[in-house]
Amino acid sequence: MNKKIKTLYIIWYREVLIYLRNTVKFFTSIFLPILILVFFGTGLKTMFPISILGYDFVQFFFPGVLGLSISIMAISSTMSIVWDREFGFLKEILVSPISRSYIILGKILGATTTALIQGILILSIIPYLGINLNAFLFMKAMLVIFLISYGMAALGIFLASRLKKMESFSIVSQIIIAPMAFLSGAFFPLSNAPSWMIKIANYNPLSYGIDALRWVILSGSLEKSEILTITSHPLLLCITVFLVFNFLITFFSIRIFNKSIY
Amino acid sequence: MCSLSEKAEQIKENQNNILEVIQVENLKKRYKNINALDGVSFSVKRGEIFGLLGPNGAGKTTIINILCTLSQSSSGVAYVNGYNVYSQSSSARKSIGLVFQETILDNHLTAEENLYLHAMLYGVPLKEYTRRKRELLKLCELWDKRKMKVETFSGGMKRRLELVRALIHWPQILFLDEPTIGLDPQTRKKIWDYIFTLRKKGNVTIFLTTQYLSEAENCDRIAILDHGAVVAIDNPENLKKMVGEDIIFFKTENNQLAEEEFHKKFPKYPIKLIGKELRVKVSNGDKFLPILVKSISPHIVSMELRRPTLEDVFLEITGRKIRENNNGIEEEIEEKFDLSSLFSFFSSSKKNNE
Repeated sequence: MNKKIKTLYIIWYREVLIYLRNTVKFFTSIFLPILILVFFGTGLKTMFPISILGYDFVQFFFPGVLGLSISIMAISSTMSIVWDREFGFLKEILVSPISRSYIILGKILGATTTALIQGILILSIIPYLGINLNAFLFMKAMLVIFLISYGMAALGIFLASRLKKMESFSIVSQIIIAPMAFLSGAFFPLSNAPSWMIKIANYNPLSYGIDALRWVILSGSLEKSEILTITSHPLLLCITVFLVFNFLITFFSIRIFNKSIY
Repeated sequence: MCSLSEKAEQIKENQNNILEVIQVENLKKRYKNINALDGVSFSVKRGEIFGLLGPNGAGKTTIINILCTLSQSSSGVAYVNGYNVYSQSSSARKSIGLVFQETILDNHLTAEENLYLHAMLYGVPLKEYTRRKRELLKLCELWDKRKMKVETFSGGMKRRLELVRALIHWPQILFLDEPTIGLDPQTRKKIWDYIFTLRKKGNVTIFLTTQYLSEAENCDRIAILDHGAVVAIDNPENLKKMVGEDIIFFKTENNQLAEEEFHKKFPKYPIKLIGKELRVKVSNGDKFLPILVKSISPHIVSMELRRPTLEDVFLEITGRKIRENNNGIEEEIEEKFDLSSLFSFFSSSKKNNE
């Protein structure tokens, strides 16, 4: 058991080390969501004043941007597995006497950690946005962030574990990320969307994730009835869906990776 | 509990006493419709430097990949340090160190971090790791550069670091897949010096592939591989004896006539037309040269006398030069864009290894 944890640790350690080493990626990953929040959010806010919505537009917008940026971060971090394959480093890991399932779990947890770091940093600007978040809510939000980033990281590994070229990964990940983002309810509340769109969105794990984030982050600033107008699923359902999704996608990514050659 | 660990210790001891550390029997590998390996059998003794010599595409890397459990053979068995490479792949992997043909280091990390990750992957205790790291880095003259990022290293330094990395878990067998490819002669010589020192120090068995004939001479034994089959296996001296003592290559304006004349005059010496040159094998080449010049009527364009090298051995056995062509087999077929591979997940018909 101890040895297995050590294996996980070492794969995880490398992922995180590479993330922290890459200062450019580190800063852009935080800079972009903040830019979107500050400029894009403030701009849109003028179109939807509190008098119409009943709540601050930034309050609606923040959990969505947070959820999307950690998802993108988690998925793009798993690119390292394609990178490792293209430049051969994966061979070095594969010929070492450790089990492939642990390689995958370590990779998923590494990518999750990068997304968690980003989540903490984005959450840290929350006092400037007029959202109340105490320590307890912060911890709860981090748990939800963990769930989402784990799922997205596992999804990324699932997509990446057969690809041999970095270009293919960026294309594949965009094909996956774009519809997930638009149908997640991050940019507009899905509750008012046409029914065909809601039907598709119900199959989008990210829409549950972003709803969960809204429930947790806004619970200190908005009434329950107000949150209800901008979400489409109850919190418990969101968490359950994500837990199941995480479990399944981990299983599938381990399976697909075990079958890949190198 | 105690007896169990004793037993495990005993098994380990037995594994360490196996004389033939690599055993390969009738290994076959098919890629689509090409036979990359066509029934390869050989064995490697503990502590020797064993070279696998062959042109590009002869199947050298395929053999290494199978032995280090990265790919599976279509049929045949292979044992590494007494472990079957399929059924006991994890134990087999623990016994080996690898330097691949291409440089595989994490460029973002420093030399030391690369070594640390590797040692942890192989479960080397921290104390052992620190000691070996120091010893090996000093041996390969990288100790001063251990805190530098690998991306700043030159090709030779990277190779040396890979060598250190492959050895940090004290493997029984060190696999080197074309260890000196793309390096300048000085670095190449240095790498060989390290290899010799290592063997002296650690009783490591070294299994290497090469297409440089001059390097193959350094091996204790060589297997010559051609078209996925072992065509000769022996030590370099014996292999050279197969060819004969001296070789004369000469070119005339009318090779056919020269060959006929030669055949009549010296029936006991074999002569053969290779490319545009005639090859003669004789016992006293230096004394035979003037006789040869006088006894052939076509004008001689060029002439060369040489002691047999492995190049000649290869020529003798396969009928062509080692560098002549890439005979067919691509070692790895890469797809440019592999979106389709995503969907192959759902079809379990594709047989892959663990």
